[in-house]
Amino acid sequence: MATTETLILDEVIASSRRRMFTMGGAALAGLVFGSTTKANAQTTLTDTDYLNFALNLEYLEAEFYTLASVGETIDQIGIGIGAGTAMTGGGTVTVKPSGVASCKVPFAIPAVASYATEIASEEQKHVTFLRGALGASAVAQPNIDLYHSFNTAAAAAGIGPSFDPFASDVNFLLGSYIFEDVGVTAYHGAAGLLTSKTNLGAAASILAVEAYHAGLIRTVLWGLDQATPAAGIAAITVKISNLRAALDGTNDDDIGLTKVQDSLNGTTANYTASTIVNADSNTIAFSRTTQQVLNIVYASTTGAKGGFFPNGLNGNIS
Amino acid sequence: MRNVDDLIRKALTRRKFMVGAGSVAALSAVGCSHNFQPQTTPTNPVTTLTDADYLNFALNLEYLEASYYLIAATGTGLSAADMGTGAASVTGGAQVPFTSAIQQEYAYEIAQDELNHVRFLRSALGSSAVPMPAIDLVNSFNAAASAAGIGSSFDPFASFDAFLVGAFVFEDVGVTAYNGAAPLLTSTTYLGAAAGIMAVEAYHAGEVRSLILQAGTAYVGYANQISALRATLGGGNETALSATTVVACNPTNALAYARTPSQVLNIVYATGDGNATSGGFFPSGLNGNITSTIG
Repeated sequence: MATTETLILDEVIASSRRRMFTMGGAALAGLVFGSTTKANAQTTLTDTDYLNFALNLEYLEAEFYTLASVGETIDQIGIGIGAGTAMTGGGTVTVKPSGVASCKVPFAIPAVASYATEIASEEQKHVTFLRGALGASAVAQPNIDLYHSFNTAAAAAGIGPSFDPFASDVNFLLGSYIFEDVGVTAYHGAAGLLTSKTNLGAAASILAVEAYHAGLIRTVLWGLDQATPAAGIAAITVKISNLRAALDGTNDDDIGLTKVQDSLNGTTANYTASTIVNADSNTIAFSRTTQQVLNIVYASTTGAKGGFFPNGLNGNIS
Repeated sequence: MRNVDDLIRKALTRRKFMVGAGSVAALSAVGCSHNFQPQTTPTNPVTTLTDADYLNFALNLEYLEASYYLIAATGTGLSAADMGTGAASVTGGAQVPFTSAIQQEYAYEIAQDELNHVRFLRSALGSSAVPMPAIDLVNSFNAAASAAGIGSSFDPFASFDAFLVGAFVFEDVGVTAYNGAAPLLTSTTYLGAAAGIMAVEAYHAGEVRSLILQAGTAYVGYANQISALRATLGGGNETALSATTVVACNPTNALAYARTPSQVLNIVYATGDGNATSGGFFPSGLNGNITSTIG
């Protein structure tokens, strides 16, 4: 894929022109076709800015999954986190007091351990891919918090005073649940803002992988919930979804794991269906603006820095 | 309504791409599925196709998926109102004998999702929407099973696990089709919709692939035989299913695969001939302007 990466780099350099995104046209189009794509008021951002925005999110995901699967941070396994092509110089990762190694999840379900290993590998590759595409423009990893952030989110969602996503199979899956649907909506929202078709192709391809992850994680969680209803796993996912929807200001763009009544090809909504897919009434995946994504990862309805990124994202979208 | 008018205008002035469809279709419908050749890199005629053409291409695939899942879930397919005037019919299919509520709920969900995609695309296309083409859910699966080395026949409606393998045939292909088409769209609105539908297909694919893992090694084996067949027909772009490879993506950079319309047609027509206009799941070809595997 060196060729593709080179192409993307060329495109990034070439597309220094400012993005002219006309809110009026987008709003009209949204009305006509019922698209969930939201108008984005940021008129001065380049493809590089959006790719760096994505890179910040990939750092977060890669750190989470790598810690969960092997008990190490990504720089410990040889992935660069510094600015540009520098291996070092990136921000720190705050984990629970017992330390980085203790974040390796004591998996009791072999399949879940395998999933963690796979997703860690794929998120690491996304980091490496985006850093390669951005080259000298790549931002360093910002400071990441995987300890206080989860506790705060748990409290805000009404799950409890604390939450350790590295404590068990289910907790790991719930931690994953927090990230994957957000990744889908973030890439979906950014796709239409990219000026380079090459960058768009790459973003769409990463979007698809995040959605594969989300489909996998949600299916496994739903299966566990249905097997042991007393654990209340699905109810927790609903709380997480509700929190995300509240943080992004819509209150209606996130669906947890539950059951709904569908009509299918009839006229009466009497088919009980699952909600593995997180999507709108047209079954088109939700889309979020960069600001809405920031609100979620900062755990702030006003977009104040915090949550998973205590010092904010690096780059021009923060 | 500016975009709708623009779409209709483009639809009325677009060039036709069906060339000599009839005779090739007749040949292709008879037994070509046993003569697979590695897919050469097709050249896609992007310069002459409009957004409406790509959306109609997607609509054909959604008709196929919706028909499959609706029949599997309920025993009946799309209602007349969702097929369009002049729609052809579906051959085969039956309600799957589900053995648990959770199985049924999965099937109902995906069926509703794909039906919603049909309705969304038909609404977006308006009067430009093509009707449902003829769809074959019997001979197609049997030919695919034979070509893949699974056996002389395969009935995806026989059990929930078999239904998952049938679903596997479609979902990864849907992802690659939308991923390949997204950069070809000129409208940002359509791009957003296509990316959002692609994401849903990927949710489905992640779901179906993980459920097949739960179904056991025999079904994982069937899925991977199908995957190998798709790779032969569709220019590679496949990831064999295993406990550590649930996601179908490029192992180097973890980017999902993209296929050209021609590569997708090779798969759904079940032919590597390179000049087919019908076959497999679409015995009379797709409706619209993207119908031929001639690149």
